[in-house]
Amino acid sequence: MPISVSIPTLLRPLTQDQKRIEVEGATVRELIERMDNQYPGIKQRLLDGGEMHRFVNVYVNDDDIRFVDNLGTVLKDGDNVTILPAVAGG
Amino acid sequence: MNTTALPLKGCTLAGAITSIPPCFTPAVSSLRHQARALGVDLSHGAATSTSGVVFDFLAPGLDPIATHLLGWADGRPDGASELTVQAASGLMAVHGRASGGARPLGVDYVSTLAASLALQGSCAAAVGQLRGGGHRRVDVSLAGAASLAIGQYLADATVSEGAERLLPGCTSPHDRPPFTSADGVVFEMETLDAEPWRRFWSGLGIPGELAGKGWSAFLLRYAKAVSPMPAELMEALSRLPYALIAEYCAEAGLSICPLRSLSERLQDDDLPLLLEQGPWHFTPGSSGLATTGLGGRGDLPLSGLKVIESCRRIQGPLAGHLMALLGAEVIRIELPGGDPLRGMPPLVDGCSVRFDALNRHKEVCELDIKSARGRTELLELASQADVFLHNWAPGKAAELNLDHTDLARVNPALIYAYAGGWGDDCRLHAMPGTDFMVQAHSGVARQIARRSASAGGSLFTVLDVLGGVVAAQGISVALLKRCLYGEAGRVDSSLLGAATLLCSAELQALRDGKALAQPLVAGVYPTAAGLLAIECRDSEEVKRLRYALDYPLDTEPVLRDEQIVRCLASHDMWAWQDHLRESGLAASAVREDLSAVHEDERITPCLRTEAYTQAKSPWSFT
Repeated sequence: MPISVSIPTLLRPLTQDQKRIEVEGATVRELIERMDNQYPGIKQRLLDGGEMHRFVNVYVNDDDIRFVDNLGTVLKDGDNVTILPAVAGG
Repeated sequence: MNTTALPLKGCTLAGAITSIPPCFTPAVSSLRHQARALGVDLSHGAATSTSGVVFDFLAPGLDPIATHLLGWADGRPDGASELTVQAASGLMAVHGRASGGARPLGVDYVSTLAASLALQGSCAAAVGQLRGGGHRRVDVSLAGAASLAIGQYLADATVSEGAERLLPGCTSPHDRPPFTSADGVVFEMETLDAEPWRRFWSGLGIPGELAGKGWSAFLLRYAKAVSPMPAELMEALSRLPYALIAEYCAEAGLSICPLRSLSERLQDDDLPLLLEQGPWHFTPGSSGLATTGLGGRGDLPLSGLKVIESCRRIQGPLAGHLMALLGAEVIRIELPGGDPLRGMPPLVDGCSVRFDALNRHKEVCELDIKSARGRTELLELASQADVFLHNWAPGKAAELNLDHTDLARVNPALIYAYAGGWGDDCRLHAMPGTDFMVQAHSGVARQIARRSASAGGSLFTVLDVLGGVVAAQGISVALLKRCLYGEAGRVDSSLLGAATLLCSAELQALRDGKALAQPLVAGVYPTAAGLLAIECRDSEEVKRLRYALDYPLDTEPVLRDEQIVRCLASHDMWAWQDHLRESGLAASAVREDLSAVHEDERITPCLRTEAYTQAKSPWSFT
């Protein structure tokens, strides 16, 4: 079940400069584990103590996973996952 | 001499302090207020100019520093004013993205910024002289101040790949923060984490998907000056009384603050001191230091000085940026892996242009200040520096053993600067001291709302920018105090202090029960094509406007504005700009598209185009 993942510029050195990669996974957590198998180091940049890092937003299609089921958010064939840096405050 | 409260006692401003072009009234009023707060004597002179205000900054034992506060950076006498510079620079356009179209901020923002930059430039030039430099003149302009203010937005709009095109009116002025309750209370909410936001909306029965869209919009405020909230969220709040919303906020861990008026603000305990001493709080440190003992010099007054900056987001980094523009070497502390803001699109060469706009002149040192090793490295850096600047959350410096006393121990001559949110009022520290919360609490949001189609303040980061300028100004003053009197120490500033400075004239008038003189005409009017900003400060200028429009304008404001609109319908904004300028009036076409700001020759001298359009240094030293 390949999922298309959009990679932000800062993480592209870890994905051999690919803007978009195809990874399988039934949930976001599984997806990140498999991404890390293929592109070591990416998990460390996304997770902090087993949870999403506060400076990272992950969207499944247009939905922020923090408002769905966090890392347990279920993925289905054809979903688009987007990773974006996020900072609140000014 | 007690220089604690009056750090620049012994210095004087001499020159055009009383006889000034009408459109410079707000800038000079702020300049006088700031100078008094710092202990600078004001002496009157006669020098005036149609292009601005000239005064001499006199520090003991130094040559006079001729400070030129101009309208446009090249000194052209083309009707520069608060309103016309807001219009030409793109500031109205940024504010207008979520405020119902390009329109004035409704506060003397550019004038306050420019006054602060002018005094700061004078102080820096004096430090330069004391270090052996030949800095005897500094030029600052309203246009340069405005360009600096929107530097990050300009970067976003002009980058070659992925530029933002957010025009005035591109989002609803209603479906955005602040929010309105069923009982009519207008309020801000704030959290820096998604979880309290999710809990709050979940408590109100809002589906996660909608709350998530609201969170994405909420995050956009700081970067894009828009925040397009799902209408369902605004409606949900409009059905509940404020007290109940506040209870839900408390349960969810979300902060809430009603938009207060200046009259309410006037009752606060912290206000009298902020009005008297300005937005800075100077605490003495070591004294008896060598008075001119700052090494190194160069073309710029602070060349050779070293500043360590441990700041995030906008206010603190902007203060560090200004130090760099004055010539200092700025070393920026970032967490290992770098500041996450580096990755905020759009990017050039792998770095966010918004981030680059505030940090391009800095050297970066990655270290974890929470680790013992990181703290040791930071103390080592501070021991070799002239200034340490941070904007950590309240209490964090003490918790990390990196407070003023800790750093003064390794470097007694250090200037320790804190750019905070709420300042000394600890009762407020439970709320995040962010731009929009401070706009709400300080009365700035309500002031801005008077001229806006929205219920509240600006989503342009009004206070982060002014707070950054004020923080840098405090550092420049502290450096001068150190050079003149051999005293180091600490300088605190805050967004709340900056907000108080911005509204100081109104607050003082309210306190004294006096009416503040307002421009007789200050509006943005449609023309045959485009919008035109017109400002007339006195009856003489209104008379000239009548003559230029060839119409006997009424004195009643609503009727008069209708008449102006009818007159302007005959030509486009550029034709009217030229025509009214020839009549010696402050009038300007309103720049709505930031990507074209550089085409205006009145603004061009303030900008430099590289990978994106950059705001140049607001100072020119000779």
